[in-house]
Amino acid sequence: MELKMNVNGQPVAVEVAPTEPLLQVLRERLGLVGAKEPCGKGECGGCTVLMNGQTVNACLVMAAQAEGAEVLTVEGLAAPDGKLHPVQQAFVEAGAVQCGYCMTGMVMSAFSLLQQNPQPTEAEIKEGMEGNLCRCTGYQKVFDAVNLAAGRLR
Amino acid sequence: MTNQQTWIGKSVHRVDAPAKLKGEPVYMTDRPLENPCFGRVLRSRYPHARILRIDTAKASALPGVICVLTHKDVPGLNGFGIVIPDQPVLCFDKVRMMGDALALVAAETPEIAAAALDLIEVDYEPLPIVDDALAAIMPGSPLVHETGNIHLRTVIRRGEVAQAFAEAAVVVDHVYFTPRQAHMFLETEGGVGQLMPNGELHIWCPAQAAFRDRLQVARLLGWDPERIREYSSPSGGAFGGKDELTVQHYLALLALHTGGRPVKIHLSREESTVAGIKRHPFMVQMRTAAAADGTFLAQEAFVVADTGAYASLGGPVLNLAIEHIGGVYRFPSLNVEGYCVYTNNGISGAFRGFGVPQVLVALESNIDEIARRLGRDPLDLRRQNLIQRGDLSAIGNPMTTGVGNQAVLEALENSPTWKERTAKKAAVTDPWKRRGVGIGLCMQGLGLGKGIPDYGAAVIELLPGGKFKVGISIQEIGTGNQTAYAQFAAEALGCDVADVEVIQGDTGYSADAGTVTATRSVFTGGKAIQITAEKMVALLRSTGAESYAAAYAVARERGLETKVRGSFAWPEADEEIPGAFGLPHHIYGYGAQAALVEVDTLTGEVQVLEVASVVDTGKSINPMGVEGQSEGGVAQGVGLALMEDTVVREGRFLNANMSNYIIPTAGDVPKVETFIVEVHEEKGPSGAKGMGEVPIVPTMPAIFGAIYDAVGVQMFRAPATPERVYMAMMGDPSATEDTPALRARIAEGRRAGLAAQLHQTEGEGYAQPKGPEDEEA
Repeated sequence: MELKMNVNGQPVAVEVAPTEPLLQVLRERLGLVGAKEPCGKGECGGCTVLMNGQTVNACLVMAAQAEGAEVLTVEGLAAPDGKLHPVQQAFVEAGAVQCGYCMTGMVMSAFSLLQQNPQPTEAEIKEGMEGNLCRCTGYQKVFDAVNLAAGRLR
Repeated sequence: MTNQQTWIGKSVHRVDAPAKLKGEPVYMTDRPLENPCFGRVLRSRYPHARILRIDTAKASALPGVICVLTHKDVPGLNGFGIVIPDQPVLCFDKVRMMGDALALVAAETPEIAAAALDLIEVDYEPLPIVDDALAAIMPGSPLVHETGNIHLRTVIRRGEVAQAFAEAAVVVDHVYFTPRQAHMFLETEGGVGQLMPNGELHIWCPAQAAFRDRLQVARLLGWDPERIREYSSPSGGAFGGKDELTVQHYLALLALHTGGRPVKIHLSREESTVAGIKRHPFMVQMRTAAAADGTFLAQEAFVVADTGAYASLGGPVLNLAIEHIGGVYRFPSLNVEGYCVYTNNGISGAFRGFGVPQVLVALESNIDEIARRLGRDPLDLRRQNLIQRGDLSAIGNPMTTGVGNQAVLEALENSPTWKERTAKKAAVTDPWKRRGVGIGLCMQGLGLGKGIPDYGAAVIELLPGGKFKVGISIQEIGTGNQTAYAQFAAEALGCDVADVEVIQGDTGYSADAGTVTATRSVFTGGKAIQITAEKMVALLRSTGAESYAAAYAVARERGLETKVRGSFAWPEADEEIPGAFGLPHHIYGYGAQAALVEVDTLTGEVQVLEVASVVDTGKSINPMGVEGQSEGGVAQGVGLALMEDTVVREGRFLNANMSNYIIPTAGDVPKVETFIVEVHEEKGPSGAKGMGEVPIVPTMPAIFGAIYDAVGVQMFRAPATPERVYMAMMGDPSATEDTPALRARIAEGRRAGLAAQLHQTEGEGYAQPKGPEDEEA
């Protein structure tokens, strides 16, 4: 089938198998590798992208479900000149990045959380980030980063 | 050395963070590829079986299949392994674990490759398995390798042990079990192999030992290593789990048959879990003796480590555990018998802490009980027995470098978690919950150890405009060493961190500085960069130029070499410990932690509320990075203590994905407060030691001590799941594993182990894997 959607503000049309996961479409067909596949089961959040304004695990979304959707991936956050989005910048400054492999998913969850709740409490940040697994950090500096970004986006 | 440092000791932002956060294709498994094909590995269907027949005809005939390879297609040595090559690249006579590889496929698409795997016919004759490490020692056990199930036996005896136990006021004797923790790095093993037009083989694969990988691949191909180039940094997490070859050998073999096309392999999470190495599960029977005044008198231990089907680093893991069997304390006498044994339980290898967390939980728990029986404060009892500089460690190593145990203990004593423990424990809200605080102290040998070649090297290249490129093989696996290396270089060269590009893990550019393991990367890389930078400074002087930018122009004009190299050898102990390969270490990192937990007495659930984590880093190169490592180490320690175990029943894996192997989430981790202690190490770069492994080591005993403090039960098996804690609280007999029957088996195992005729000793006489031809001959 031909899949038409908007990815990071650009219309795209790609030939895909209907059962192909959105994650595979993004990574293999569109070369957008910011979303990763650490588990392939919707457990880790490493493939988090926004679809029609909501975070989804792209590994669990079938290509056909994305027909006509607005998809925002981490590649769509930074400015065209490469300047980091304030959420990304906060992750740098808070020291949240270690191996970094989960961090694109983390950034998307944080971005979405702050869109819906610009002034989250500590508990709300924890809850908002619970769907994203990280094996390096212990999450503390991720919470710091979300806090920092919230202060700046306010 | 000047005290005013511009970069060393500053919380410099990670230089690699922006590209990673933007989703740029920095990881080896994210590289854009032109005309790729896709590789898959056929794994075993049995944990132990003879291979009667492998038929690839149908798979090869499937349209879209490019090649199907078996052991017949391994041109060189069909074996690999860091210490001994006892693991077949592709199995030929039998399989010994579920992760064993039998065949490789390359195809036009991943789907065709998967379909081709299903068409490969293998006839097996299942063999009896051995899935219990203690049973594996006993005579008559099924043999994983014909040479015997004992991979390594290490026995150290020191002092008058029997007399010490006879004279002791307190003797504590328990058996502890630790789990098969999975690394669960977020980036599973994967990469790309390609035969280049110039005849070189290039491999892009996240790894921890680029030059050693290259050697192993060269050996199995029968090639000159110089024809192979491995790109291996950065990695999406490793923790020791990418120290062994992961997929490089498969990529290499396939790339010889794909007509120059890049071939990609990226393991699914399930395949990663089944095939990859794990933390060695340990059984530790430990008997500790103390005098009435609290002085530790003797330590006796029987240690059995399950290395699974192949050795990997099982021998060194066992020996590092044994080296740390007495922790940071003086023990005038010691009797330790350790075994690293083969089973059909997957494969174990390097994992952050490298055997030390497995024995430390036994030691520190025993010490807590000694304190209770003597009516002593647990921290004070520990202080009384601390090793001082110049003392011998438990295994008899003279501690001549910076000893940080006193400093970390004092910092722990002053941490709010410990100091305000009474108030924190009383602040419990629900009446069915109880709170407790426990502590753990540790040290961790740094570097590879006595007698093992351990060295560092770097190249620094002067670039136009006075910028620099630093090449070092040690990879960025997430620890922040790329940033630390840029800091070392900027400090030594007098430039900005932004003017330094650090190239890691590329055998074609970076100097061979060994592995990113053993908490050696800051020490090794820092020292190598400092030594190499001196040569760059000499180059600047030789040009007579005022700046590096001008020096570059002069050097080009005069045809001077603009790339300099330097290397050094790691300091090591003067004397080896007899009978214990690789021991002792010479420089140690130190840590101490206090954990506050809350136990739900209705469910047995343990929540770790806060952890004070003290680390002696020597000089901290990047304090923010140290904090990150500390927080992450504690999180992995919480998983180890309370949640994680790769469950293998009869050789088969029951929880291979993240849906049933649960690692700590944002909701599970405690608040971690890190206290950095800097006990200057004169042999280290700018006084630094390193600290990456240290923070996972004391977490488990601190949590176990806190559980006891809360509800009065000692846990002897990790993870301390709600079921186990609840059963222990209820006094359920099933919670007691330390039965007369177990003691009888341990006694039998000790006798059998000591009586066993070993066919192999560390470093010599190891059996080499045989090819089918050899068998016929």
